[in-house]
Amino acid sequence: MTETTCCCPVKKETDFRNATGLYIALLGQPNAGKSTFFNYLTGSNQHVGNWPGKTVEKKTGMFVRNGKTYHITDLPGSYSLSANSQEEMVTRDFIASGQADLVCILADASQLERSMFMVADYSGIKCPVILIINMIDVAQKQGKTINGQLLEKRLGIPVVLMSASQKKEYDSFIEALDRPLQSLKTEALFAKYKEALGNTFTGLCELTKNEDCKFFSSEWLAIKLLENDKDIILKKRKQNLPLSIENTIKVGSCKFDWIKELLDGIVTGGTKNSEKMGRFDRIATSHIWGKPLAVLLLVFGLVMSFAITVPWMFFSFKLPRIIFPFIHNWLSGLGSPGWTISLSETLFNACGTSIGMIGFIAGSSLVFGFLEDVGYMARVAYVFDGAMSKIKLQGKSMMAFMMSFGCSMGGSLGARVVDSWGQRVLTMALAWLMPCAGTWAVISVFGTAFFGINTIWILLSMFLCSAIIMLIAAKVFSPKLVGKTAQYGMIMELPPYHAPKWGSLFRLVFSRMGSFAKRAFTFILGVTAVFWFLAFTPDGHIENSLIYKFGTYIEPVTMWVGLRWQTFVAFVCSMMGKEAALGVLSSVFGTVSQVVGRGEVSPDLATQMSSVLTKAEALAFMFAFYFNIPCFVAVLSMKEESHSLKWTLRIMAFYITIALIMSASAYYIGMMIF
Amino acid sequence: MSTLNIQKTGTCCRVIGLQGDSHFLSRIIAIGLTPGCEVEILRNRKRQPLILFARDSMIALSRKESENILIKAL
Ligand SMILES: Nc1nc2c(ncn2[C@@H]2O[C@H](COP(=O)(O)OP(=O)(O)O)[C@@H](O)[C@H]2O)c(=O)[nH]1
Ligand SMILES: [Mg+2]
Repeated sequence: MTETTCCCPVKKETDFRNATGLYIALLGQPNAGKSTFFNYLTGSNQHVGNWPGKTVEKKTGMFVRNGKTYHITDLPGSYSLSANSQEEMVTRDFIASGQADLVCILADASQLERSMFMVADYSGIKCPVILIINMIDVAQKQGKTINGQLLEKRLGIPVVLMSASQKKEYDSFIEALDRPLQSLKTEALFAKYKEALGNTFTGLCELTKNEDCKFFSSEWLAIKLLENDKDIILKKRKQNLPLSIENTIKVGSCKFDWIKELLDGIVTGGTKNSEKMGRFDRIATSHIWGKPLAVLLLVFGLVMSFAITVPWMFFSFKLPRIIFPFIHNWLSGLGSPGWTISLSETLFNACGTSIGMIGFIAGSSLVFGFLEDVGYMARVAYVFDGAMSKIKLQGKSMMAFMMSFGCSMGGSLGARVVDSWGQRVLTMALAWLMPCAGTWAVISVFGTAFFGINTIWILLSMFLCSAIIMLIAAKVFSPKLVGKTAQYGMIMELPPYHAPKWGSLFRLVFSRMGSFAKRAFTFILGVTAVFWFLAFTPDGHIENSLIYKFGTYIEPVTMWVGLRWQTFVAFVCSMMGKEAALGVLSSVFGTVSQVVGRGEVSPDLATQMSSVLTKAEALAFMFAFYFNIPCFVAVLSMKEESHSLKWTLRIMAFYITIALIMSASAYYIGMMIF
Repeated sequence: MSTLNIQKTGTCCRVIGLQGDSHFLSRIIAIGLTPGCEVEILRNRKRQPLILFARDSMIALSRKESENILIKAL
C-alpha cells in the first residue's frame, strides 16, 4: 500500500457487487445475536467460505423482501474495531472497501451499556448505520423499557428494537431498511474527545485530515492512532506521535462516558438486585464441579445422540444385508459376471454406512447445537481454559476431543462451537489423535493376537506418544492458524442462559444432514469403488489384485518402517475407515476371499497373522495404524468444516508422516526388545 | 490501591487504572472495564480465571490479565 492511499485499502468497488440490491454488513459484539439474526434472514441462502487469503470465516447470504433483494455479510470480529486480530482487520477492510451500503450494528438490550461500545467504536466511520437493539424480550423480563425513538433522535439513525429469535419482529427491521440511509451523529462523542485530550486530539485530526479516506473520518483515524492501533501507526510512523497508555485509556473512558449520557433517560427500570450468578452457574463454574459437570453433560450428550442415531444406524447398516441377497439373486439370475455382484454389494454396504453416518451427524448436531444455543458452551470454555490454552486452543475445544472418542467426524462437528476459524481447524486436527471406536476395535483384536495382556502397555505408550504429538502438532500448526491471539489470556463474556430456539436448531440439523449427504454419497461411493477396484480379483486370490502387486512391489521400501505388504495394504485401506482394516487383514492373510466390502473377520486371523509377522512388525503396524488419518469421512468433514483444501491436505500429510515415523520407531525399538 | 487478582469473592470495587500493552488495553476496554467502572467479584480461586460482574454482564478474566487492573475497594 502506498502512502497516498494510506489507511484505506482501496479495492475495486465492483469486487463483490456484481448483483443489484442493497449490500448490508452485520456488526456486533459476541453474543449480541448476530448468527441468529443472519440465519433467520437468509435461511438456506447462505454461503460459508473464507476471506481471501485469510484464516477467517466469511458468511454471506441474501434474502428478498417485498420484491427487493438484499445481500448480507456477517462480519467476523470480537469486541471492537481495533487491529488486534485478523477478524477485526477483515471487518475494517471490508467497511473501508465500500462493499457495504449499510452497516447494521447489533446490540444486546439486556446489557445495553456494554454492547453499545461497538457503536462508540464505529463513530467516525462514514458508512450509514442502522442500530438493532436485540433481545428486547430479555430486557422486558428484567423489567427494563427502552425508548427507541429518543435514541433515534440522539444518534440520528434508525433504531430497531426487536428479538432476533421471533420471526414476526423482522418486519420492523425491513421497514427500517426502506428509510433513507443515515450516518451516526458524532458531535457529542468528538466533543468528549476534545475535552479529555485537547490539542492532542485536534492535532492528530489535522494530521490525518489529508488522508485519502472515503470511509474513515480524520477523527476516527486520530482516535485509532491514540489507541496505538498497529495498522494505522505503521503507515504513519514518520511522524512523532503522542502515544501513551494514558491516552488509550482516556479514549476508552470517553467512549463509555458518551454511552452513559446517550442512554440517560432511555433505559428505565430493571431490577438492580437480581441474583448475579445463578445456582446452576455456581456449579458450572466451580473449581471442583465445573469439569466433572461438563464431562458428564457431554457423555450424556453423546449417549443421547447415540440414542437418537443407533436405531437409525442399526437400520441403515442392516438394510443392505437384508436387501442385498435379493439383488444378488436377481443379478446372478440375469447371468451377470461375478464382478458386478461384488461391486454392487460393496457399494450397497457403503450406502448403508453413509446413511448411518448421517444419523450420527443429526444426533450430535442436535446435542451440540442445543448446548451452544442455551449458552452452556461459554462455561465449558471457562473451565477448560487452563488446560486447552497450553495447546493454543479454547476451552471449548474440549467438546470436540470428547466427541472424537465416538467417531472422528463427531470431532469435526464438535469443533463448530469454537468461534475462531484457525482454532477450529487446529481443534479438528488435534482431535484426529483421539482413537475412535473403530481404532479401539482393531487395536484390541490385533494387539491381543500378538501380545496378549501386554497390549495394555502398548496402549499406554500410544497415549503418551499422542500427548507428545499433540504438543508437536500444536507447535507446527498454531503459528499460522492461531497466531498471536492465543498468547493473551481469556477475556470473555459469560452470556446469560437462553431458552433453546428449537426451530433454528432443527433447521441447523437438517442443513448439516443435507450438506453431508450431498457430498458423502458421491464421495464415499467414489472412493469405495476405487478401493474395490484395486483389491478386486476375479478368482478370489489376493495375489491377482492390483493392491497386491503394488504392495509387494514397494515392500522393500515399506520395510524401512517395518510394514510388510500385508500390513501396508491394511494401513492404506484403513484410511477408508479404521474398522475396514480387520476385513482387509483377514483377506490378505488369505482366509476370506474378498478384501473390501464385507468387513468380515476370519476366526483364525490371529494364528495366521502370527505365522507371518514378527512381533516387531506387528508393533510397527499397530503404531502406523493408530496414528494414521482416521478415515476419509473424517477427512471429508474436515474439508467441509474448514472450507480449505490446502489445510486439509496439510493436516493429512502431517498425520501420514507421523504414522510412518511412529511405525519405524516402533519397529526398531521392537526389534531391540523382542 | 490494589489489583483485581487479589480481591476476595463477593467484594465490590471500582476500577481506577489499567496497565499493560495496547493489545490488552484495547481488549479490556472493549469489554467494558474502564476506569470508573464498578466491578463485583463473583468468583476468585487459585488457578482458575476470575469471574466478574460489571456493566450488567458476567465476564471471565484470566488471572494474569487481572493483575493489570488497578482497583479501589468500595
Ligand atoms: N431470548 C432471546 N435470545 C436470543 C435472541 N437473539 C439471540 N438469542 C440467543 O442468544 C445467544 C447468542 O446468539 P448468537 O446469535 O449466537 O450470537 P452471536 O455471538 O452474535 O452470533 C443464542 O443462545 C441465541 O439463541 C433474542 O432476541 N432473544
Ligand atoms: Mg455467532
